Amino acid sequence: MPMHVSYNWLLVLLSYAVSVLGSFTSLQLAVAIPLATTPRQRTAAVAMAGGAMGLGAIWAMHFIAMLACDSGMHVTYAPSLTALSAVVAFAACSAGLMLVGDALFSWLRLLAAGSCMGLGVGAMHYLGMAAMMMPAVISYNAGLVVASLVIAIVASMAALWLAFNLRGPWQMVASALVMGFAVCGMHYTGMTAATFTDNGGQLPDGYADGLRGDNLGLTVFGIVGTLLVLMLVLHYWRQRYRSSISI
Amino acid sequence: MVELEVQVLSDRREGLLAELGRAVVANGFSLIRQRLTQDSHGAWLTMIVRGPSEQRFALEETLGTHNRVLSFEASLSGEDAVATAVFAKSTPVAVHAPSPEPPPIIEPSATPSAAVMPDIERVEHILPKLAQDYPSIYPWLVSLENSVDDAVRESSLMLAGRRTGAWVYKRDYALGAKLGLSDAIKRIGVPALRQLADIEQQGVHVHILNSPLCTPGVQSGCKFYGGYLEGLLGASVTPKKVFVRHLSCRSTGAPHCSLEISH
Ligand SMILES: [Zn+2]
Repeated sequence: MPMHVSYNWLLVLLSYAVSVLGSFTSLQLAVAIPLATTPRQRTAAVAMAGGAMGLGAIWAMHFIAMLACDSGMHVTYAPSLTALSAVVAFAACSAGLMLVGDALFSWLRLLAAGSCMGLGVGAMHYLGMAAMMMPAVISYNAGLVVASLVIAIVASMAALWLAFNLRGPWQMVASALVMGFAVCGMHYTGMTAATFTDNGGQLPDGYADGLRGDNLGLTVFGIVGTLLVLMLVLHYWRQRYRSSISI
Repeated sequence: MVELEVQVLSDRREGLLAELGRAVVANGFSLIRQRLTQDSHGAWLTMIVRGPSEQRFALEETLGTHNRVLSFEASLSGEDAVATAVFAKSTPVAVHAPSPEPPPIIEPSATPSAAVMPDIERVEHILPKLAQDYPSIYPWLVSLENSVDDAVRESSLMLAGRRTGAWVYKRDYALGAKLGLSDAIKRIGVPALRQLADIEQQGVHVHILNSPLCTPGVQSGCKFYGGYLEGLLGASVTPKKVFVRHLSCRSTGAPHCSLEISH
């Protein structure tokens, strides 16, 4: 029988805030990719931007949102799939930002980059769901799954367009808000697509060895802390660079 | 022929000499000696270059707007005897102009005719003050306007504008993708110009309302805005070069000063 799921709205808001924070930090780094003049600088900028987006805006957001979701069951997460979901998010975001982080803008590039990031968000989410171990089975509404992926791709494209083509304060703020919407819109649509059905109390193998909410909470806390520090360092560094440019 | 000592600050040293050596050669100068050092501010490249005096402006302009250059200073070599002594030990280097490079584009205002050569020294002198007080720069611009000869007023204001525009671009608008000309006008040119003046913009046309640099019947200083837009938009629209044409000026009875941007 399908189970009822309820949400802690404070944590839902926190999940959006974290995805905006991660997107903001990531896009701040990403818009400097075209300025990189050596392959090493470029790789470093792409990796840091991909890390902030993949691990911060997407992966940490997903697990905060999972903590916000109360299905009345004790859930643990398979460590290997959980780690894989983080790697996939990181790789997809890095690839997407590398594609769009070129000096010259084109719609084709934006489409490719937006698809990369949108599908990355989706892949992370559904891998994260597959990592869940609990006395229930998940089934999906195919239409809503497709909708969740479309939302992620379209909103990612919009966010990347804003970040690379606008100038001034909206360049960063609007793009981060939209990217946060891409991630959360995908996640919560994906959750609506899922139905949890009680399997009669059967626990999957390895349930006891899975990661618990409090393990994940600590990791998420570490990631969010790192994002904040990174954002502050970046701000300080950019102010210094700005004042070092002389006329 | 002039011999100049040019000191450049860049954020890193890799390829700096090669890129700037190319810029030097493209402007008809040859590199006599150079020295590259590094400190906490970045990489310092000092070059002694020799070339035709009428190309000095073009060279300084190329260096001032070069994407590797955070700041630079140029002075006639020999003005500073200490610097010469430091250089006495370094070995001469020959730089060969790479042949596939396109010939340098020299703008009309940079042609080697004495009448349009700006007063580089006076412009260089006020540039740091413009940076310090930006965007409240009119007192400095008016003083520049009044301190240079009539014949070089417009070209001097244009040079000051171009250097200021290139600086504002690097400072505030360099992050993101390169934009096409019309997007660059809307998203970079208009907001940056609004910091300095009341303007109206339609497509490639920009009208400066009540330019404080132009006095009806007396003198015209709105070349500053033209240079400013060229410096500001040039870096975003590269590899194309941005040109600003002056259509009308308040000083000659027009209601406002009008500019047309093209590339
Ligand atoms: Zn005028």
